[in-house]
Amino acid sequence: MATVLDPAGAPATDERRADRRGGSTPPGGRRRHVPPLLAISPFYMLFAVFGAFPVVFSMYLSVQDWDGIGDMRFVGLKQYGWLLKDSVFWHSVLNTFEIWFLSTVPMLFLALVLAFLLHSQVRFAGAYRVAYFIPNVTSMVAMTIVFGSVFAQAGLANALLRAVGLDGIGWLSSEWGIKASVSIMIIWRWVGYNALIFLAGLQAIPTEHFEAARVDGANSWQTLFRVVVPQLRPVVLFAAVTSTINGLQIFTESQVLFQSTDVGTTGGPGQEGMTIVLYLWQKAFKEHQFGYGAAMGWLLFAIIAVFTIINWRLVSGSDRDDRRPGIAGLLRRKGARDGR
Amino acid sequence: MEHRTMSRRRFLGASLGGAGAGLLTLSGCGTAEGSASAGSDHLSLWYWKGSLSDKLLATARRGVPGVPGLKVKGSQVPDGDIDSKVRTSLAARAYVPDLTVVNNDNLATFFPDEDEFLDLRDLGAESVRDRYLDWKWKACFTPTGRMIGFPLDAGPTALYYRRDLFERAGLPHEPADVAEQIPTWEEFIAAGRTLRRKAPGKPCLVSNIGNVFQQVLLQSPKQFVDADNRFIGDQEHIRRAWDLSVDILRQGLSARITDGTPDFNGAMSGGRVATMTTAVWAINGLKDTAPKTSGSWRLTTLPDGPCNYGGSYVTLTRYCREPEAAFAFLTWLLSPANQLESYQEMALFPTTPASYADPAMHKPDPFFGGQQPIDVFGPAAQKAPVVYFSPYEETANTPFFQELANVETLGKNPERAWRDAVNTAETALTRLGVS
Repeated sequence: MATVLDPAGAPATDERRADRRGGSTPPGGRRRHVPPLLAISPFYMLFAVFGAFPVVFSMYLSVQDWDGIGDMRFVGLKQYGWLLKDSVFWHSVLNTFEIWFLSTVPMLFLALVLAFLLHSQVRFAGAYRVAYFIPNVTSMVAMTIVFGSVFAQAGLANALLRAVGLDGIGWLSSEWGIKASVSIMIIWRWVGYNALIFLAGLQAIPTEHFEAARVDGANSWQTLFRVVVPQLRPVVLFAAVTSTINGLQIFTESQVLFQSTDVGTTGGPGQEGMTIVLYLWQKAFKEHQFGYGAAMGWLLFAIIAVFTIINWRLVSGSDRDDRRPGIAGLLRRKGARDGR
Repeated sequence: MEHRTMSRRRFLGASLGGAGAGLLTLSGCGTAEGSASAGSDHLSLWYWKGSLSDKLLATARRGVPGVPGLKVKGSQVPDGDIDSKVRTSLAARAYVPDLTVVNNDNLATFFPDEDEFLDLRDLGAESVRDRYLDWKWKACFTPTGRMIGFPLDAGPTALYYRRDLFERAGLPHEPADVAEQIPTWEEFIAAGRTLRRKAPGKPCLVSNIGNVFQQVLLQSPKQFVDADNRFIGDQEHIRRAWDLSVDILRQGLSARITDGTPDFNGAMSGGRVATMTTAVWAINGLKDTAPKTSGSWRLTTLPDGPCNYGGSYVTLTRYCREPEAAFAFLTWLLSPANQLESYQEMALFPTTPASYADPAMHKPDPFFGGQQPIDVFGPAAQKAPVVYFSPYEETANTPFFQELANVETLGKNPERAWRDAVNTAETALTRLGVS
C-alpha cells in the first residue's frame, strides 16, 4: 500500500543512499542524469518542432497578414479587430455552442447510463465494451459519408421516421436538422469513449457502497444518482472538460457532410453547420489568409479556456464541503473573495 | 556491466549525433538547392490523379522524346492538397517541385506571388502560341504581363439534356433544334415550365440554381473583382446571374439538391432532373451516377453561348533546375498530338484546336445516343470568352453562392440574401485591400 501511495519513494531512497555514500553531490552525480534525459529527449525535440513551435508561430502569425508564400506584413491587432466584426465568425461561434450543447449533454448522460449497465454483471461485457468503443477509432471521413446517406432526403433516418408515421425532416437542409445531424454523429463517436472512462471510475468505487445501497433498499436508478454520480465527480469533471475541448473543435463532421471542396457549400445551407474550426480552415487553407486563421485559433483558445474554467467550477462547485486542493479549489476561494 | 552501460551511452550519443546531422542536412538543403529533385537525374513534377496522362508520364520517366538526357518524374498529390503543398514548399524554399499542375481556379491565387514562378515568355513560349486556344493562352498571364502558366486542358461547357423528356413535353429535342429554339436563359426557363407541366414525372429543370449562377457568371468576361482590385460583384453582370437563378427557383423548376450527394445521384438516375449545365469533365461522373439513363441524354450549346468551366495549367517554379529542358518537356507533353492521346486515355479536353478535327475525337458516344460530344464541345471551347480572375475571386464569390443556397434551401428572402452577400463580400475583401 505504502509504495502505491508514494510513487516517488524509490528514487528518493536512492538519492539518500548516494548522499550517505559520497557526501555532497559530485559533478559525476549530475552527469548521471544525462543519459535518462537524453533517452527522453526525442520526445522533447519532436514536441519543440511539431508542438511548441507552431503554438508560438501562430501567435506571431496572428499579428501578420500573410498568404503563405510572400512577405508578411505586420498589421498589429487588426486581424482580431476584423474578426470581432465578422458576422460569419460570430455565427460560427453560436453554431459551435449549439452543436456542442446538443451533443455533449445527451452524450455524457448516455455514457453514464451505458457505463452503469456495463458495470453490472452482463454476459459478453468485454464484447460490448469493444463494440461501444469502435466508433471512436473508425475513420471519421468514411463514417461521414455513411451518415451522408443516412441523413439524405430519401435516406435511412427519414425512412425510419416515415415508418412510424412521421414526416421526413430536412436533416441536411434546415437549421436544426443540420445541427441535429452533426450532434448525432458526435454522440455516436464519443459516447463509447466516455462510457469507458465512466466505467473505470465506477470500478474504483468500493463494492461496499453498492452493497450498502442494496441493503438499504435503493433501486438501480437511486443507486446511480445517489451513490454513483457523487462519487464519480472527478471522472465527470474529466469527461466534461475533454468533451468541451473536443466539442468546441468540431470540424470533420461538418466539413465532409457538406462537400466543402465546393465554394459556397462550406458549412451547409445557411452555414448552419459552420463551426469555428471549419471557418478557420476555410479562411486559412482555402483562401490563404493565414494571419486571420491564426487570430481565429487564438480566440478559440480563449473561448475554450473560459469554458473549461466554468465547467470546472460547475462540476466541482456544488460540493459544499469540498476540501480537495487544486485549481478548482483555488478558483472557488478566489471567486468567494472577489464576488461575495 | 560497465561495458554495457558504455555501449548504451555511445549508442545514445551516436543516435543523437545522427539526428543533429540530419537536421543540419535538412536546413542546408533549403538554402542551397530548393528543388525537390536536387541531386537526382530527373526533374520533379507534381500533379493530381487524372490531371495528366499516365502513359505519357511513364514515357517521360524513362526519357523525354526529343530532349536528350531529360527525365521527368511525376508525383501524385491528392487533388485537395496540392495547392497547400505547393504553397508550403514555396514558403519553406525547400523541396519545391520543378514543375507543378495548377487548377483553373487557383492560378490567380498565385498572382500576388508571381515571382515564385518562371516567366515562360523568357523560354520562348511565343513560338508555340498559335497551337493553343486564344482565351486559354491569355489566361496564363498575370496582370503585370508575365506568363506563369502553360495550357493543359480546357473545360468547355454544354447543356446536357434528356432528349426523351424534352420530346414527351412537346419541346424541340434534337440538339440542333434545341440550340436554335432555346438560345437564351429566358427561353431555357420557359422550356423548364413546359417540362414541369407536360413531361412524365414532372421533372425539374435543374438540380440546383447554383449551377446556373456559375455558368451565367462564367459567360461574363468580368467576375467579382476587376484587374484594378475593385469589387464589382454588386454590378449588373452579377445581378443578372442572380436574378435568373432566383427566377428558376421561384417558378419551381429547381430540385433543390446539392450536387454529389446521395439525393443528387437518386434524382439523376430517376429522371427527376432533365438538364445539367456543366463542363465536359462531368460526362464520366454522369455515366457513373446514372448508367440506366444511357442513350437518353444529348448535348447542345449552353443558353446564351458557351463558356469555360475548369481546366488546368502547368507552371515552372523558380526553383526549377533546368528551365529550358522543362519547357521543352511541356511543349512535348502538351503538343496537339499528345493532347489528343491524353483525351483518348484520360478524357482531358485538349487546348489545341488542331486536335478537334482528328477522327479519333469524332467517336459516337452511345450514352448520348450516338452523338459525338466533340461536335458540341469543340466549337464551345473555341468560343469561350476571355475572363479575368482576380486572386480574391473565391473570397468574393463564396458569400454569393452561400446566400443563393440560403434562398434555395432555407427560403430566405432573395433581396435580403443579395444585400447580405454584397455586405459579407465587401467586409471580407476590405481586409485584403480590395475596395
